[in-house]
Amino acid sequence: MQSANVLLKKIVRSSVLPFAAQHGMKKDLFPLSRALSLSPCLKQDNSRSPSEKLDLDAWKKVMKSGLQEEVSETVSERKELSDLAAAREILEMWRLAGRSVPENISEEQLKTFMDCPSKSAKKKYLKYLHLKELYKKNDKRKMDEKRERRLETASKTDETRSKSFVCLWASCMDKAYSWRVAQSMIFGQPLVFDMSYEKDMSVREVANTVRQIVLSEGSNRRSLDPFHIHFCNLKDDSLYHKEFIKHYKEAWGKLLITVTDQCYTDVFPKDKLIYLTADSPKVMKTFDHDKIYIVGSMVDKSIKTGISLARAKRLGLETAALPLEKYLLWNAGAKNLTLDQMMHILLTLKDTGDWKAALEFVPKRKHYGFVSKPVHELKKTLNLINTLKLGKRQEEVRKQFAKNYSRKLTQK
Amino acid sequence: IEPPEKPLQAEEWNRLRESFGSPEIFEEVMFNNMIRCNSPIDVAKSLLTHVAKSNGDVAYNLLVKYLALCVQQGQTSEIRDVYDIMKIRFRILESGAYNLLIRGLSNSDQWRMALTLLEEVKKIMIPSRTNYESCIKAASCHQEMNVAFELYHEMLAKDLVPTLDVLQAFFDFNRGMKGAELQKELFGILLYLRENQIYPHKTFMRSIKLWFESIPGGNWRGHLTSIKDSGQCPVCNHQLEDSDLTEEEYNNLRERIIRDVIHGTDTFRKTSPQEFEAFQAFVENRFPFDIVIDGLNVSHIKPRKRQCENLFDAVNCLAKENARLLVLGRKHMLVNSSNWKREIMKEMQNKADFFFAENISEDDAFLLYATLRSGKHCKFVTRDFLRDHKACLSDSATRHLFRKWQRGHQISKKMFLSVFIQQPALRYDCVVQTTGDTWHIPYKDTFEEKYSYRVPRKWLCIQQK
Repeated sequence: MQSANVLLKKIVRSSVLPFAAQHGMKKDLFPLSRALSLSPCLKQDNSRSPSEKLDLDAWKKVMKSGLQEEVSETVSERKELSDLAAAREILEMWRLAGRSVPENISEEQLKTFMDCPSKSAKKKYLKYLHLKELYKKNDKRKMDEKRERRLETASKTDETRSKSFVCLWASCMDKAYSWRVAQSMIFGQPLVFDMSYEKDMSVREVANTVRQIVLSEGSNRRSLDPFHIHFCNLKDDSLYHKEFIKHYKEAWGKLLITVTDQCYTDVFPKDKLIYLTADSPKVMKTFDHDKIYIVGSMVDKSIKTGISLARAKRLGLETAALPLEKYLLWNAGAKNLTLDQMMHILLTLKDTGDWKAALEFVPKRKHYGFVSKPVHELKKTLNLINTLKLGKRQEEVRKQFAKNYSRKLTQK
Repeated sequence: IEPPEKPLQAEEWNRLRESFGSPEIFEEVMFNNMIRCNSPIDVAKSLLTHVAKSNGDVAYNLLVKYLALCVQQGQTSEIRDVYDIMKIRFRILESGAYNLLIRGLSNSDQWRMALTLLEEVKKIMIPSRTNYESCIKAASCHQEMNVAFELYHEMLAKDLVPTLDVLQAFFDFNRGMKGAELQKELFGILLYLRENQIYPHKTFMRSIKLWFESIPGGNWRGHLTSIKDSGQCPVCNHQLEDSDLTEEEYNNLRERIIRDVIHGTDTFRKTSPQEFEAFQAFVENRFPFDIVIDGLNVSHIKPRKRQCENLFDAVNCLAKENARLLVLGRKHMLVNSSNWKREIMKEMQNKADFFFAENISEDDAFLLYATLRSGKHCKFVTRDFLRDHKACLSDSATRHLFRKWQRGHQISKKMFLSVFIQQPALRYDCVVQTTGDTWHIPYKDTFEEKYSYRVPRKWLCIQQK
């Protein structure tokens, strides 16, 4: 209990301090935006009888009446502002105007904001920060509610025993997972992440990539028969590397994976390598346990076709694409999947060899369903979707679809 | 909720607010509706008064919304008042308020105020092109041409693209004015249209025509016409510029195609270095060609027919006048299949040179290279608009060159009763052009209707008598 209290205090202190600092700063910058107190003449106004004629310009008086009080302040405040402060001020005005702008913005973010090359880039970046802030706030609120609830229940039941049990369970599982991954590092099938796409991505795309890889590593660790993960072409001072350290912190050095700045062609025999890319003309039929699959660590939001295929071509490697068309009735979206989805699919294939089970991990919004279902059933669901989505045009769409679908069947 | 028709007392506003589902955004929603219904300004004022009295303050977003209502109704004095209040309450304003203020004031007799506001905006950001538009229109409306042109050049210097409205305003407000300097400026605008391959719409064209005809002592006459396929103007018998590039432009374009389209960030994306070298050697041995054909594209022209027969028809149709043909294809065309019969392929190879690229290479890039290498007379055949290749070019000047070259050298084919109809490349270049005593200006019929690949067929011919 005592330790919990200390922890609580720490959290409160650390969260209050920056807030106070920021608040203070804002006050300095915006002496005028603070709410006004009612001046005595207004109180008189209020006391008049409502039947009297309306003074339509009364609001102007109110707005201007604040002036006398604060003029002295503004004169002294008005000095040359630095660029950063000016940008901060503009942001504040945008927030007042009701645009999606974050309430608090750090120095670093402000600099990124000012470096955005165009107006729309700035707008996008602000919206991103705004949403991030909203999510964070919501999470914090939920955490607080949870903590309150836990404190309530804690006072009723003796919690310490169950807690230690949970701890023990978790650390045991951790050990078991580590054991398995260590086994796979000796005997397991290698899986390569190709970290050579840094210059094809923006900073945010690199951050997203690393996030996806962290997720993939997590699901690999928890699987029954993990891959032996290799990060190839990973340079020491690269953006990837920095992002990894941001995510893993001290655990980065203890991860049970192989990290190298060498190319996969130097580590493995060339004829065993298969580069997985959505642009490949070859379609993967079965999962081969003797091959080494390579996944390009790249998030391309602007769909840059052929980049990873070009890598494989240059090195003369075999390529393959997932048989998405063969098993799924594709609806919308690009055929490239996220890295964690790839990991799930590959793990499932390795364990079961079942394409249907593996392709369950393709996001549902991207396809209508599996092709193996009877066609009339597919059409029924599709009709429903189209009626919901498009309303009147359903007949037309259905015909179009039927045509496409029959063509697809004859091609195969 | 409907905004009321008459100003309300505080209690009445309170009552309305209570009855509204979410009272915290009541004022905002009410103001939005007032703007939509264009409510009388007094109603808005009464709401502001109510807010000011109950909170002692009016939030910035409400002020902006009120401002929008004032601008909508052209209430100049109110706009000034709101601006004064904003200036007192806030150290700087944001772009939304400035846009409204500039728009509102530039339409009034206080338009000079809009100019000072524009200066204020410049201090904190780059003004938008509509800001400039309002100010330029206001200045030219009040015959301050120097100010207007100054602003116009300033916005061009900031890489803002002027709207057609602004350009039209220059022609409208200078009608009947004298001055060599002024004429030079307006000719400059026409040359701006030329350089950026912009086509004026019908009403804009009329403004241009009227301006020319109104120049005192200029003796200009304008006629609407359409140009013959030969490129001759039926009115003045003047031969329009052809679409050939100059030697320098041509070499420049060729180098940029090799650098940006074929190599790009990675040669392996579209081909491979070995393959490209082999292709270069192939072209060096056999050029110059007269026509380069995109084999796969042409083979899909008629879906009912076999692909090799489509291609065969096209080659036969083009091979007539001893023209040297090059057909680009992929290796899979050589494998005997139902679509690609080996005998027909053999026969075609007697009539034309063939180059087969790898199945995963892009043949369009080769098409461009071979055509450009063969020289100015060489044309190419494809239905593809080649937009993705144009997009690979890094700057807009080269893209314009590419478009011009494409207009002059691309032959596309249409099917008509199972016969190939050749759609010839244009012989003349479709841009604003002048010889000093004549101007030829292509224009669009309506404001928005034009596909980017379609060039206008209607022209304005202006000549000096």
